Amino acid sequence: MTALPPTTAETLPPSAARGPLARFGRLLLSEYFVLVLCVLYVAAIYPVVPEMLTWQVAQNVLTDMMPLLVVAIGQTFVLIVAGIDLSVTAIISMSAVVGASVMTGTGGYLGGSALAVPGALIAMGAVGLGIGLLNGFAVVTLNMPSFIVTLATRMFFAGAAVWYVTFHSTSSSIANLPPGFTGFATGSLFGVPLTVVVAALIAVLAHVLLSRTEFGRWVYAVGANPRAARVSGIPVERTILSTFVISGVCASVAAAMYSSRMQTGSPILGENILLDVIGAVVIGGTSLFGGKGKIVWTVFGVLFLVLLDTSLKLLGASLFLIYIIKGGVILLAALVDALRNRILVSR
Amino acid sequence: MSDAAASAPLLEVRGLRKSFFGVTVLHDVDFAMRAGEALGLVGENGSGKSTSMNILGGVHRPDAGTMLLEGRAYAPQTPKDASRAGVAFIHQELNLFPNLSVEENLFVDAFPRRGVFPFIAPLFIDRRAIRRATEAVLREVDLAIKPSTPVAKLSQGERQLVEIAKALSRQAKLIIFDEPTTSLTRPEVERLFSIIARLKRRGIGIIYISHTLEDVLRVCETVTVLRDGHHAGTAPAETLSLQKIISLMVGRSIDQIFPARGKPPGAKPALEVEGLTQRGVAENISFSIREGEIVGLAGLMGSGRSELARMIFGLDPFARGEIRVSGVPLTNPTPASAMEAGLAFLTEDRRGEGLLMDFSVAENTVLASLRSLAGTLGFIDTRKVNEVSRETARAMRLSTDRVEDTSAKHLSGGNQQKVVIGKWLRRQPKVFILDEPTRGIDVGAKQEVYRIVNALTERGSAVLLISSEIEELIGLSDRILAISKGEITGEFARKPFDREAIMAAATRLAGHESFSAKAAPERVSA
Amino acid sequence: MKLGSRALLLILQNAPALLFILLLIVFGLMSDRFFAFNNFRNIVIQAAPIAILAIGMTFVLLTAQIDLSVGASMYLTASVAALYMADLPWPVSLLAVIVMAGAVGAVNGLIVTRLGIASFIVTLATLFILRGIAMWLSNTRTLMFPDAITSLNRASFLGVPSAIAGFLVVFALAWAILNQTPFGRQVYAVGGDPESARKAGLPVGRIVFWCFVVSGVCAGLGGFVSVTQIGAVGPSYGQQVEFSAIAAAVLGGVSLFGGRGSVVGTVFGAILIKTVQNGLNIINADPYIYPLVTAGIIFLAVAIDGLRTRIVERMERRTIRPLDTGAAAAAE
Repeated sequence: MTALPPTTAETLPPSAARGPLARFGRLLLSEYFVLVLCVLYVAAIYPVVPEMLTWQVAQNVLTDMMPLLVVAIGQTFVLIVAGIDLSVTAIISMSAVVGASVMTGTGGYLGGSALAVPGALIAMGAVGLGIGLLNGFAVVTLNMPSFIVTLATRMFFAGAAVWYVTFHSTSSSIANLPPGFTGFATGSLFGVPLTVVVAALIAVLAHVLLSRTEFGRWVYAVGANPRAARVSGIPVERTILSTFVISGVCASVAAAMYSSRMQTGSPILGENILLDVIGAVVIGGTSLFGGKGKIVWTVFGVLFLVLLDTSLKLLGASLFLIYIIKGGVILLAALVDALRNRILVSR
Repeated sequence: MSDAAASAPLLEVRGLRKSFFGVTVLHDVDFAMRAGEALGLVGENGSGKSTSMNILGGVHRPDAGTMLLEGRAYAPQTPKDASRAGVAFIHQELNLFPNLSVEENLFVDAFPRRGVFPFIAPLFIDRRAIRRATEAVLREVDLAIKPSTPVAKLSQGERQLVEIAKALSRQAKLIIFDEPTTSLTRPEVERLFSIIARLKRRGIGIIYISHTLEDVLRVCETVTVLRDGHHAGTAPAETLSLQKIISLMVGRSIDQIFPARGKPPGAKPALEVEGLTQRGVAENISFSIREGEIVGLAGLMGSGRSELARMIFGLDPFARGEIRVSGVPLTNPTPASAMEAGLAFLTEDRRGEGLLMDFSVAENTVLASLRSLAGTLGFIDTRKVNEVSRETARAMRLSTDRVEDTSAKHLSGGNQQKVVIGKWLRRQPKVFILDEPTRGIDVGAKQEVYRIVNALTERGSAVLLISSEIEELIGLSDRILAISKGEITGEFARKPFDREAIMAAATRLAGHESFSAKAAPERVSA
Repeated sequence: MKLGSRALLLILQNAPALLFILLLIVFGLMSDRFFAFNNFRNIVIQAAPIAILAIGMTFVLLTAQIDLSVGASMYLTASVAALYMADLPWPVSLLAVIVMAGAVGAVNGLIVTRLGIASFIVTLATLFILRGIAMWLSNTRTLMFPDAITSLNRASFLGVPSAIAGFLVVFALAWAILNQTPFGRQVYAVGGDPESARKAGLPVGRIVFWCFVVSGVCAGLGGFVSVTQIGAVGPSYGQQVEFSAIAAAVLGGVSLFGGRGSVVGTVFGAILIKTVQNGLNIINADPYIYPLVTAGIIFLAVAIDGLRTRIVERMERRTIRPLDTGAAAAAE
């Protein structure tokens, strides 16, 4: 084998290049690229839709963003270990209907009791935890690709949620949820909506977990090279399993947010958000091939997607236009990411 | 074949020069060979063998120099050009598709086609033609398998014969073998050699690259030695001895490369292995290493040497046996529990198992010692991580101290290896298992590794050293164990090592009547 | 022990087939209507669209790529046909649908191979875009198809119902391409080891590109066949179909990591899924449990495949010494 000559990265001092091109290059490589895009986007769209910068719209953006953000955070963990969790929407559906069946005033298991809401929340969390465990175990011990595992659990629990409702309601969803629960969507703490508080808490926790703890380093190492991680004494299986559990629990938190806002436990709550979730995480810059991703990136990715959505709706764009633009943006984001990697390699 | 034709050069290489990123790796290398002859190409890792062969095989383009094949100018731009000109390159990593059949592998880039009535255009693979052609070349390499057998079902040795058959089916005039014997069993090696002899009789030229110098001397008529990208010498094989080749390869005598050992080994055992057995892999393996001792494990690739290391470190299962570290039993080891007990393991696959290539030097350095950097809640102080990594980088004499923003893939092989070693040294292991620690790194980096290993033993750590290079084992070890077919076949003390006896023990064919648990391996007291 | 694991392996290798037979027996015992010839014909007719789609998906999966846009492509091409070609003879619509869908596949393939973006993302994005365009063209209305097209469902060629005929043609072509042409074998080579394929001088990019085109063409065709059956397309048409197609292929033994699988398996997978649904229907099972049973079977099949791979790996783990030496064998 030829001795590898030292590459430029090893010998050159940090890029001292100047000029607009270099500045653009640095911006492209910056952590905050997507955030900058968000700001630029709002600035660009502001003359056309001045409502974008009103308090009302900002609040809408925030509340729209929160459930999506929480799911996306869970997905980020799974993507970093080079897995994928397609079952999140089914987890949302399943925990929404199970939670609702516990607390609903019309024949709920704990309906009317003081324990109705906490009981329901525990049940919802348990659903997320359980399905996450199932996914994780199948991936780790049964040697199945996560795409198929979560595709199957997705089909299963999406179907199961619809079926489950038939035992608890005559309509297609479970209504009459206690005000203590529906108040979660409308309530606020010092003027900050409760959902935002919860989501922010989860985001901070996830960020700290990933970037500051031993577990976080395990997650990255397992995603980058599971064999090297194993030789270095990292519990690879346990790490992978944990990410699926995190994703499951995050999805059930999102289920609580959605169903308190809709004031009903519906099995089709999050049906269509899967592609948004994965799209948002990828726009943020997290790699589908593992080893690369950050919670802040995901926050920015979700923010960008929701801003896009909101502004287009304000513009009166129809659903089809939103679809087309969203698709274009996902493609563009992937392109920019490919470009970024190319710059990084050639640097 | 007339005498004149036989003596005209098949290949002539003049003034080959090549540099990568400003570093010259080949300086005006010349060599020539005749048809029906084998040329051995030897040299340390990094001496330029691979680069020159990659140029010959069309993988790289030379910066300067000319090549003549059968007297005509030869300048392949792609591997396909080389193959068309009659040059076949059989890499160490075989280039076969396990999910295709043997016959399909032979023709995958150029299937003969046939038309099907009523189609005029020949759309379909002419199965009968490829079957017939495959049968013919398989016969030439003595491989009695059906052409439709999937390659996945073949052994490593059989796959190599398929590669040779592929070269023959392309009318190769020159076949380059790069380390062909490393993953073969001994009978497979014998079969390979008889086929090479047959190829030579057919007038095909062979370039044979190997670290196993005995094989080179056996197979080749002429040997060319490269050193640091220079042509160090060419001579007929019968005039060469192993010692002669080695001194040409390294440019100095062995004693100068291996640093003198400091303290003699201690008395207390650091690692004890007793009766380690796993069906088909290891049979009743027992040995011990004392504190501060280096024990070399001499065996061919596939002898079970790496597997033994993996079992001790908890990466592979074993059925029976006991492992003790400093007298404490290590039951059902996992990598984590083995590390806890004081073991460290540098695997032979640096890229695949040693490093996170895209991650920084700092992140790689602390990977095995995260617990010691984590606070009560598992929080990790990034500043501390960078600090200790810089410290390690200095101790390892790494080429860079920008540990946070240099990724492992940007380091040279030697520096990468230092990162992996540094990663383990941070744990201050009681027992360090090193599997091929100097594979693919240059001479300078090798010496650094030797220095580090010596320093380690002076602090009382025990080392189990696995290496394909017998000189390395002899130069470093206090004691050498020979392993063959998953059994320890000999134990040798220093003062001085008997090279031939070690090789004989390491290449002994186990599994015969003469060699089972009944026959006690020869022991030499230390 | 060796014999035992070989037998186990044999069972595991044919697990989907055994599962199929088991299902046939169970359904057959539960209802005598199940084993009627007409019923089997119906199963194949119902399975035809998804089977055609899954055949195209197989090409893409064999190269270790994925195509999530097939459902959207189906929706778009069918919408265009309904909107602008209602008065044209059906072969013209069919041809137009195939060409459009093939073009969609070509775009996917170009982006994947030229720009080097993961196919998951590319086809996810085109899924959105195609669906958006289709909704735009149709104004999110449900579009009806003329009798000329819906009557095809009742037509038959040489006594074979049109859906089955179409499916058989696609199947035969795909089988011939994958097994008997240089391109087909190179698809396997590229999926099995792209690096080696590149070294062997195979045009890796071009091969992957054509697989996306095949997948696109199959999406158009599968969409056309399903349109003849249902006669109308609305905004939810083709949603999640990509997942069914992938599931069928995987159930039939196609690996998501490329290089392993066959169209025979894929077709088998598609028919297996429809058989389950048909059987559940015949025994009057609660319709809500259909997706549960289907998902359970997919899960089981893939779990078994994972187990099989593990056993194969263990059996093929290089043995260093002969296995039948006395002491070792006695100890086991």
